[in-house]
Amino acid sequence: MSFPRKQYWTGKLLAVIVLLAACSNSDPGTEEEKFEAEGQGVFILCEGNFNAGNATLSYYDPETRKVENAVFQRANDRKLGDTGQSITLHKGTAYIAVENSGIIWAIDANDFRVRGQMVTGQTEHMMNPRYIHFLSNEKAYATDLYSPYITVFNPQTMTYLASIKTEQPEAYGYSSTEQMVQYGKEVFTNCWSYSNKVLIIDSERDVLSDSITLSSWQPKSMALDARGKLWVVTDGGFSTDEESFGDNIPHLYRIDAATHQIELDQTLDTDEGGIVLATNPDATVLYLINNDVYRMNITDNHVPVRPFIQADRNERGVRHKLYGIGVNPHNGEIYVADAVDYSQSGIVRRYSADGTLIDQFRVGINPNGFAFK
Amino acid sequence: MHCVLRIRCLLASWLCVCVCLAQKDSIMHEVNILAPRRLSDTGIQRTTLDTTVLHQNVALSMSDILTQHSSLFIKSYGRATESTAEFRGTSPSHTQVLWNGLKINSPMLGTVDFSTIPSYFVDQASLLHGASSLVLTGGGLGGAVDLATQPVRQQGWGLQYIQGIGSYSTFDQFLRFNYGGNRWSSSTRVVYSTSKNKFHYTNYDKKVDERDAEGNIINSYHPTEQNQSGYFHDFHILEDFFYKPSGKFGGQVGASIWYTHSLRGLPFLSVSYRDDSDFRNEQLQDALRCVASWQRAFGTQWNLDTRLGYTFQSIAYDYSVKNGAAATSTITDSHSYSQQAYLQTKADYSPAADWLLTANLGLTYNHVRSHDRSPFHIGDNYNEGRMESTLSLSAKYRPTSRLAFSAILREELYRTDLVPIIPAFFAEYTLIRPHSSNPISLVAKASIARNYRYPTMDDLYFKPGGNPNLQPERGFTYDGGLEFSLSHSFKSDAELSLHANLSAFDSYINDWILWTPNAKGYWQPSNLKKVHNYGVEFSLQSDLQLPRDWQFSLMGNYAYTPSLNQSEDLDATDASYGKQLVYVPLHSANLTAQLRWRTWSLSYLWHSYSERYTTTSNEVGYITGRLKPYYMSDLSLEKQFRWRPLQLSLKAVIYNLFGSEYITVLSRPMPGRHFEIFAEIKLP
Repeated sequence: MSFPRKQYWTGKLLAVIVLLAACSNSDPGTEEEKFEAEGQGVFILCEGNFNAGNATLSYYDPETRKVENAVFQRANDRKLGDTGQSITLHKGTAYIAVENSGIIWAIDANDFRVRGQMVTGQTEHMMNPRYIHFLSNEKAYATDLYSPYITVFNPQTMTYLASIKTEQPEAYGYSSTEQMVQYGKEVFTNCWSYSNKVLIIDSERDVLSDSITLSSWQPKSMALDARGKLWVVTDGGFSTDEESFGDNIPHLYRIDAATHQIELDQTLDTDEGGIVLATNPDATVLYLINNDVYRMNITDNHVPVRPFIQADRNERGVRHKLYGIGVNPHNGEIYVADAVDYSQSGIVRRYSADGTLIDQFRVGINPNGFAFK
Repeated sequence: MHCVLRIRCLLASWLCVCVCLAQKDSIMHEVNILAPRRLSDTGIQRTTLDTTVLHQNVALSMSDILTQHSSLFIKSYGRATESTAEFRGTSPSHTQVLWNGLKINSPMLGTVDFSTIPSYFVDQASLLHGASSLVLTGGGLGGAVDLATQPVRQQGWGLQYIQGIGSYSTFDQFLRFNYGGNRWSSSTRVVYSTSKNKFHYTNYDKKVDERDAEGNIINSYHPTEQNQSGYFHDFHILEDFFYKPSGKFGGQVGASIWYTHSLRGLPFLSVSYRDDSDFRNEQLQDALRCVASWQRAFGTQWNLDTRLGYTFQSIAYDYSVKNGAAATSTITDSHSYSQQAYLQTKADYSPAADWLLTANLGLTYNHVRSHDRSPFHIGDNYNEGRMESTLSLSAKYRPTSRLAFSAILREELYRTDLVPIIPAFFAEYTLIRPHSSNPISLVAKASIARNYRYPTMDDLYFKPGGNPNLQPERGFTYDGGLEFSLSHSFKSDAELSLHANLSAFDSYINDWILWTPNAKGYWQPSNLKKVHNYGVEFSLQSDLQLPRDWQFSLMGNYAYTPSLNQSEDLDATDASYGKQLVYVPLHSANLTAQLRWRTWSLSYLWHSYSERYTTTSNEVGYITGRLKPYYMSDLSLEKQFRWRPLQLSLKAVIYNLFGSEYITVLSRPMPGRHFEIFAEIKLP
């Protein structure tokens, strides 16, 4: 009597274990897709969420109006990384700084395949790469959020060359360097995080040559116009108590790039979305995101009161979170990135140079930057 | 196979076993008398985990236990890293946690990291689902976890030592020294766990290209990598002392002191290209929790329970460059110190056998100082104190032997802010009552409640970002269920006991506090979300005593928890309305089967979570938009030896039996199949 029951039990137990074993996960490997994106197209870098490792790269063909999302991962069967910060095109290669992964990728702009990469361990000082600026085919700068050095590297071989010390006081985190623009041999870079400085690098000697102190905190974005004027916009830092950085009021500065003198200082409305600057193809018109998109001629002395492109609002008056802007250097079309709620696919809206909506499409999470082929 | 179908198969399998046994033995010849229902538990949805479940092995934390033995969703960032618990598709801060009556949720975050609570330090755990949490505390919009230590029952001196040695240079040590007498008892427990935790995994987030001299790719592969910076050194010591004074004082006096020192590396992401030899990324935590209690009955009508508590918690997070290659070596050096003083008095008055009136008064003072010493920060994040008071009154009444009602009114005061009155109503009706010829008990339960959760101190005061204008989160929930019990003895000396619970719930949370990033690079909380949670929970506990010293037990839980965002759309492109909340699984299930024969014990543990979305819009086409469902199996075999007065036991455990490759959070790798063996010596 007891023998069959034991067999019964053993059988039941084995059946359950086999059933559960069958539920075991399988290899999540994927295939590498082949892309052939000849012609003019637009890369959209989607930052993803900090510490989630879900940064992605989208590619948009303005002619066919077709968007391909996550092209880096699909072409290379690997993730882009955590917090995609910037994308810059140079000689048919797109360079992507993925800040919290500590890597700069170099990918082919047509087939999106990885050509090379540079990681923190290959350099002496790179920690969180932010933006890349090309001085020649063999020399580029990479700024950094935490390291008080700008990394000099060869973009063709993706090898480390040298580091430029920013020589800022360590006490209050003046290490951060962000965007770069070049005027003559001088490269200007804004120190965003807890700072009010714009640094000037002598690109021939690769040393810090000068700095400009602003009256407002956290310079966020820069652009150089056709007249050699450097436009800098701050986010104003944040105001919480007497020890805080800034007053939460953004400023727009115009600085003469030759003399390093501040010529214009205008306060702006407090921003809720991103503060970003861009210029039209011949750098005679300035675009500014500050909640809405504003357009001003570089000869104007103040930002217009009315926005050029108004961010949509819902019934409660909550505005879209405009997160990035790019201007197509070939035709002046404006691309505006909308982060929606920061945790779902963002929206890119494409406008003609006169502000007419041409197209809109979904990309990845938190689109923040554009690169035009 | 779909998860629900899989679970149905399992349940069908178990029911089939029961039916077959019933048919073979057909007639019971003995009935266990089931305990009468307690008036204090009227309408309560409670899951109880006893010592045998909690003390499975010394390497387990409460997060492991809750994963394997409850319907809660445990969100774990990896082995020995932060693990939080979510009831019914709510958030971790909606789970209130009490230890010996003292609320141990962080006053800063409102959450509890269950990976830092060794399960060997808990003698009894109760999970109070939904409105049932209001019996203990307010603010548990999902529920409450009640953890407690208990006086030593065994008379005389006792000594227990367990040594565990496992994969990835893991060493777990446990020592317990206890005494139980007529008047007093003492228990001292120490746990020390260390591990390098450098498990290997295939990193599908990376790919290595091998190139020839011309730069052409000749081979590509996903590298096998080590978990970086995942080490841990956890030390805990717990002293429990209970004394039963004689004379007028009477009752029982107790004191529990628990100290934790934990140093944990915070593992690098699978998409990080940094090397842990260059960076330090670790968290140092010290915590002291003390509770003194006095419980006494006055006659047959009055019961008094007074508790005095104090907690101190220091958490330091250090992210820095080790080798000094960069001039800036410290990126984050944040420290937070929180202190909590606590007084609670609870009085039960039972004017008649069918009435129970309870008053509960609690006073808590929280103080938090939080700052960051890194050069990237200046000043305190905040330095604030907050007085919190709570008063609850409840009445429980049983008008007939089958029917009982309970009502609770709770009022909470934060500094000078009064939270609206929290009302709750419970009812239960015994459909089938066990008696000498009927082994079955079936009870129907229902509850309805409003609940509020006041913002945490980080929500209100953290600089930058804290929002002093936040409103309390508002919850409304109702549920109903059936509780089934069976105790059945067969002719052949086999005995079956079975306890099952099925409940359905529906709840709404308004003004859900959500931290979202802003353009300046920091996060801010606001009352953003409105969430509708509903679903079903099922639990089963069964035990089958078979002839010839065989025993088989089966425990399982299943939860179906849609948790849908019903906030107003941010704009026309917002696709998050009506979608499942991020990282909340729709289905979760677990099962534990244990077969014992004399001194041998074989256990099989399985748990599963269905896919979880990583975007608020639940985009399945998004390349990192969802995490695959996973199914985890552990197997253990234990053998006990007895040479009186010495007891020895050897235990071997295989974790992740089938070597599943899985993640529970994006970019956080989890270990594959690994092992640990335990040797235990016990006196007497």
